[in-house]
Amino acid sequence: MSFIIRSYLYCKRQRFKTFILFLILTLIAAFMLTGIAVRDAANKGTANVRTSIGGKLELNLDTEGHMGSGEQTEWGTTYCYNGDFITQDIVDAISKVDGVVYYNTEETGGYYGAGVNFKYLPAEYGLSYTPYGESSSYTVTLSSEKCKDFQSGKYKLVSGRHITPNDKYACLISKELADYNKLSVGDKVKMYSLDSDSQASFEIVGIFDGTEGSQGNALTVDQIPANCGYLDCASVYDIFKDIDDEGYSQLTIYVKDPVNIQNIYNKISALPELKGKTLKLSIDTDEIDAVSTPLTSLQKLVNTTIIIIAIVSVIILTILLSIWIRGRKKEIGVLLSIGKSKYNIIMQIFTETLFVAVISFAASVPLSFYLSNNLTIFFIAKVTAKTPDLNIHIDTAYMLPLYLIGILLIAVSVIASSWTIVRLHPKDILTKIS
Amino acid sequence: MSILKICNVNYSYDGSKKTLKNICAEFDKGKIYAILGPSGCGKTTLLSLLGGLDEPSDGQVLFQGEDISRKGLAWHRKNNVAFIFQSYNLIDYMTPAENVALTSKLTPLPILERLGLTKEEARRNVLKLSGGQQQRVAIARALASDASVILADEPTGNLDEDTADEITKILKECAHQMNKCVIIVTHSNDLAKQADVIFRLKKNELFVAS
Repeated sequence: MSFIIRSYLYCKRQRFKTFILFLILTLIAAFMLTGIAVRDAANKGTANVRTSIGGKLELNLDTEGHMGSGEQTEWGTTYCYNGDFITQDIVDAISKVDGVVYYNTEETGGYYGAGVNFKYLPAEYGLSYTPYGESSSYTVTLSSEKCKDFQSGKYKLVSGRHITPNDKYACLISKELADYNKLSVGDKVKMYSLDSDSQASFEIVGIFDGTEGSQGNALTVDQIPANCGYLDCASVYDIFKDIDDEGYSQLTIYVKDPVNIQNIYNKISALPELKGKTLKLSIDTDEIDAVSTPLTSLQKLVNTTIIIIAIVSVIILTILLSIWIRGRKKEIGVLLSIGKSKYNIIMQIFTETLFVAVISFAASVPLSFYLSNNLTIFFIAKVTAKTPDLNIHIDTAYMLPLYLIGILLIAVSVIASSWTIVRLHPKDILTKIS
Repeated sequence: MSILKICNVNYSYDGSKKTLKNICAEFDKGKIYAILGPSGCGKTTLLSLLGGLDEPSDGQVLFQGEDISRKGLAWHRKNNVAFIFQSYNLIDYMTPAENVALTSKLTPLPILERLGLTKEEARRNVLKLSGGQQQRVAIARALASDASVILADEPTGNLDEDTADEITKILKECAHQMNKCVIIVTHSNDLAKQADVIFRLKKNELFVAS
């Protein structure tokens, strides 16, 4: 009679022990399966975050040591950057680097304009330096959609479209300012710039909200977010071309695959257009880190939990099997006396446990559905106050790792608990056992 | 050539006082042997050595002229010898038929029927059988293995007189009709009288009594 048949007979006849083993293995498998599911969801979540946010590089002016020796004016000592700017040649060269999907510049206060045919929301003090009243600040950008306030969700476009790199004399204004002046998309706003001493007309291409309630006790109009809008780069370059045509002071470079970001960083650093220039290139992972850190912590917590479950499972199984094996000394002695090897007897115990495990692991699936919801809430609460967007479900694909891990745990437990068998001398069948 | 031979065997626990001293004996097929002796004289130890459950400190145990340790003691137990124990030592979650099948690829029912068990009894749990029936199952298991040597340790020790007689009769049949070599360890003179050859273990040495 082979050990497989003996295992089958044992499981069939020793129903109480089989049932206890079934319960324990089902519970272990359910925890393990839930752990695998949460871990996989966290992995997928991290991957999704990385691909949806993408990677970013920042190119900035290296101001250290390039601010001149200072110039005495009526306001005090003023320093002026005397290094290199990000020119269109550099931008063009960067845009051609393989892996770069987009670039943007966002210069807050890149343009100050006073309303010629419209009015700003009033501030505490109406200090007027221009013939058209107070000036408010505008963020000059190639692509307003990529600007931090839109990316963070603080501002939201409510009508029209965003500013794109092809735009010239286009602007975005807040809904509050539009309502205040009864302006809508397609209307033109005329502004006066004190710096260039010129007027320019901008078409409203989009209106955004998110500025409401942030007026506070602003002293000047530019301190009221609703008065601050967005302008395209081309028009500002056109307005100041006779005064200042240095280029951009900041450039954000977007890459498709954040995993490959170091490689792209190296390629951009090696561009001849950047050689010897007083510019600083750096990798910006703040946004990814902000979203993925809770997921990474979750992954670590789940990994640790899986290891703990595995160790505890082995301990419980080993204790249980050891107790049962001690109770089977007579049977083991009989098998030894009829010439069965110790290996054959250990294989019988392993197969018995495996028979129960095959059914238990399948039966653990419904329990895992229940556990996955509750355990996920527990895990997430341990790593973050926010709830990451995790899609946790028990996939049939998880059964393979579950069975592999389970078989390994059972093998370790059976080997550890078989110490009694290994120690048992065949002669004991005639002395102690008889 | 004798089927089983024990030559100059010494045995001691942990190298201390000898339990068996310079034991020599030969056992043939078709005969029933009894080894008599008081409790603790080393009868069971001698049976362990003959059955390959233990190794002698010195000397050899030969099966058909070959040292049993050459092919391994487990191989010897599996192929050459079969045990019958005083407490039957059946596996309790198996039926008599399954217990017999442990050592045999043959259908166990005819063997059990030959030893007086019905088909219904053969499919019952072994613990629901009487002592005599359990010992018959143990004998059936020994016979099913087709081993040439049957080693019995006090096979009638737990049985009443009538059942003991029946078991003794079966063991004699095993030796005389089935041409097995049956070696019985016992302290019962009545059982020993049924043997063809009686050995006596005295002061750790083996003597032929008759």
